[in-house]
Amino acid sequence: MGLPSALDSNKPRTTEVLGLATDNASRSVGGWFLLVFAIILVILGLILAAGGIWLVTLGGSWYYLIAGLGLIISGGLMARDSLTGVWVYCLVLFGTLIWALWEVGLSPWELLPRVFGYIVLGAIVLALLPALKRRQATL
Amino acid sequence: MFTSQRVLAYVVSLSLATHAVAQDAEEETEVPGGPTSSEAQIDVGDRQAVQTPTFSATPQPSDDPAPGDWPAWGRESSASRHSPLDEITPDNVSELEVAWTYRTGDMPEEGEGKYAPETTPLKVGDNLYLCSAMNVMVSLDARTGEEQWRYDPQVDPGAIPYSASCRGVTYYEVPDAADDQACATRIIEGTLDARLIAVDAQTGELCQAFGDGGTVDLWTGIGEKVPGWYAVTAPPVIVQDVLVTGAQVKDGQAEDAPSGVIRGYDAVTGELEWAWDMGNPNVDGLPPEGETYTRGTPNMWTTASSDEALGYVYLPMGNSSVDYWGGNRSEEENEFSTSLVAIDVNTGEPVWHFQTVHYDVWDYDLGSQPTLVDFPRDDGSTVPAIILPSKQGDIYVLNRETGESLFPVEEVEAPTGGAEPDNLSPTQPRSGYHSLAFPNLEEKDMWGMTPIDQLWCRIQFRRASYKGMYTPPTVGQRFIQYPGYNGGNDWGSAAVDAERGIIIANYNDIPNFNRLIPREEAEERNLQPIYAGGDNTDSEADGPAEGAGDPQVGAPYAIDVNAGWRAPITGMPCTAPPYGGIRAIDLASGETLWDEPLGTARKNGPFGIPSHMPFKIGTPNNGGPLLTASGLIFIAAATDDLIRAIDTETGEVLWNDVLPAGGQANPITYEADGRQYVVIGAGGHHFMETPIGDYVIAYALPEDGN
Repeated sequence: MGLPSALDSNKPRTTEVLGLATDNASRSVGGWFLLVFAIILVILGLILAAGGIWLVTLGGSWYYLIAGLGLIISGGLMARDSLTGVWVYCLVLFGTLIWALWEVGLSPWELLPRVFGYIVLGAIVLALLPALKRRQATL
Repeated sequence: MFTSQRVLAYVVSLSLATHAVAQDAEEETEVPGGPTSSEAQIDVGDRQAVQTPTFSATPQPSDDPAPGDWPAWGRESSASRHSPLDEITPDNVSELEVAWTYRTGDMPEEGEGKYAPETTPLKVGDNLYLCSAMNVMVSLDARTGEEQWRYDPQVDPGAIPYSASCRGVTYYEVPDAADDQACATRIIEGTLDARLIAVDAQTGELCQAFGDGGTVDLWTGIGEKVPGWYAVTAPPVIVQDVLVTGAQVKDGQAEDAPSGVIRGYDAVTGELEWAWDMGNPNVDGLPPEGETYTRGTPNMWTTASSDEALGYVYLPMGNSSVDYWGGNRSEEENEFSTSLVAIDVNTGEPVWHFQTVHYDVWDYDLGSQPTLVDFPRDDGSTVPAIILPSKQGDIYVLNRETGESLFPVEEVEAPTGGAEPDNLSPTQPRSGYHSLAFPNLEEKDMWGMTPIDQLWCRIQFRRASYKGMYTPPTVGQRFIQYPGYNGGNDWGSAAVDAERGIIIANYNDIPNFNRLIPREEAEERNLQPIYAGGDNTDSEADGPAEGAGDPQVGAPYAIDVNAGWRAPITGMPCTAPPYGGIRAIDLASGETLWDEPLGTARKNGPFGIPSHMPFKIGTPNNGGPLLTASGLIFIAAATDDLIRAIDTETGEVLWNDVLPAGGQANPITYEADGRQYVVIGAGGHHFMETPIGDYVIAYALPEDGN
């Protein structure tokens, strides 16, 4: 898929990403990272949600299903350059922190798998925020 | 060699014995306060079975060790693992440095079997005595680590069961021997190919007068010889000049397996004195012509303790040769399995036994060497007791004369169901004294590196059968066994500081994730028993863990053990750390004084990649502690390849050092030339996944200025 050249018309090109129309005409490098990351978030969300459904049917925790849905929504919105996607991610992160503390308290080794991954992802979200804001400005 | 104190004791007892013999040579003799001897007069060597309750006719160094010595695996016959030495203290232990390093040279050949040396040396007089993974016996100068002699019994690597291990040798002084008599002092070991071998402690030469040119073949009376199926990995015990040994029977192969018979031999001549075959009480020595000792009965693979005055050997028994299904076990097997059995070495008969698991289908065999103590009671008196830790975590305190528990033992209702609901015991004993076990697992105890693998473990938890401790084994569906078969407490055993009134026990805290495999599936997977050439390489190339696809021939099911409940891909345990700890227990009351995770994360991580994180996490451990009078615990054992010194009173780690290989062995401490040494066999452990080595490392305070 070639990048649109500067010689093309000013009319923005739209493409389908996961069924959502998005503008790839002027996607910068940061913009591509944003898109890839957003897709990753969606995939992670699907995995968590699918496993989460299974866990719920076994009588287990609802957390994973909910968090998975949250990541799907967050990733999907970020793929559309929506700042709301970032807010949704923050919601998932803080919701996870609260849930983790509720489940295991201040136990470092037990908090690690629950929280560390989200913090890493959150750092990436922060790093991609400028690119998202730029793209949002052009919508 | 013979201290004046010991000579005096020997002379006094000899004259007592002579006096008694002169008085009434033909009559039965009775030990005051102890059991009666059997009908016939029993000759043990040259003397007759006359004892007093306070000391025996031929006390060994292990019955009353010199302060600077470590003459038995647990330091002394009472197995305290406690030394009176105090040169190294909590204040100066941080200055410890390596004094010398010795390499045994015994390392595995390429593709030639798994090693887990687990070696603990002895120190008697000026020398150390040890055996390497493949049973090479070595004597070292205790001060310099210089090799004095070695004896290689040429054990074939085909005799290795799941790992090449030799936890220690046994030291024996022949009574009434001239100093220059050959083998007046001797070193005895049991080998992987099931031989007892005795060599001269001075020279390492075979004791020609022992057995057959220095060797006793333990395969005698066992049946068809299948290398690796029947092996000795623990040091034999000598009580009143009777050498007692059991053997390890490789788990899970078949019901028709070598017997768990316990045998007593004359420590001087190697002649068979008695055999205890629970399936055939009429057998006194060798089995009847053309027969074997009863096949597949519970065995003792670990180290026994003994009471020299009583003449009792205390045998921590395992369970039958097929661990996870018991439908074909006999009444006798169900009576004695997973029990501590006290045998009078003068008769070879059990005096009492105490069962810690009824109808054991969890491989909860007793692995800990029990410790003898004079147990303090509230009224100031003491009771001759024995402390028995177990794999499920219960620690029992028993009267070692009668087997009665000093503390309440509750029979707690056990879960039902599984593959043999009608056979399971409706109750299981629980110690009212202390337990190393933790509360039942919950879904939130599942773990991982990321939310995704943690979610996977939580799903597996929900899918498995789990009803708390003693969850019945299930077919097809996974069942969770917690504590796992590595404990609780295992062969490292507990140590007792009687002066401070503290027991120190390290333990594991990690479940197994098991499944009974229907016979058809076992055949599809071609799970073959050892006599059909099977080596259970059903799992990863690194070598199968114990139980990972054991055929259990004779039972309707094979068994698949996921030891440590390792998750796929990452290889991390599915439960959260800590996976092991070390605990101080108040001797008199059984209350926990302190409890700390044991081991850092430095050598562990996902996908087997060391994380190099120095944080205390609590790793699985194998190996035990030693205690010093100055208030220090020395222990390696964890999978971080460290040896450490811990303050006995507080649990604080005061010193540690990096070992060049895994420290899955019990360390010792001794004095040589006025200097205190701490020595550990750093040999690694294939099952624990620590680096293999052949090191014996001595630590001491720097020589100058201290």
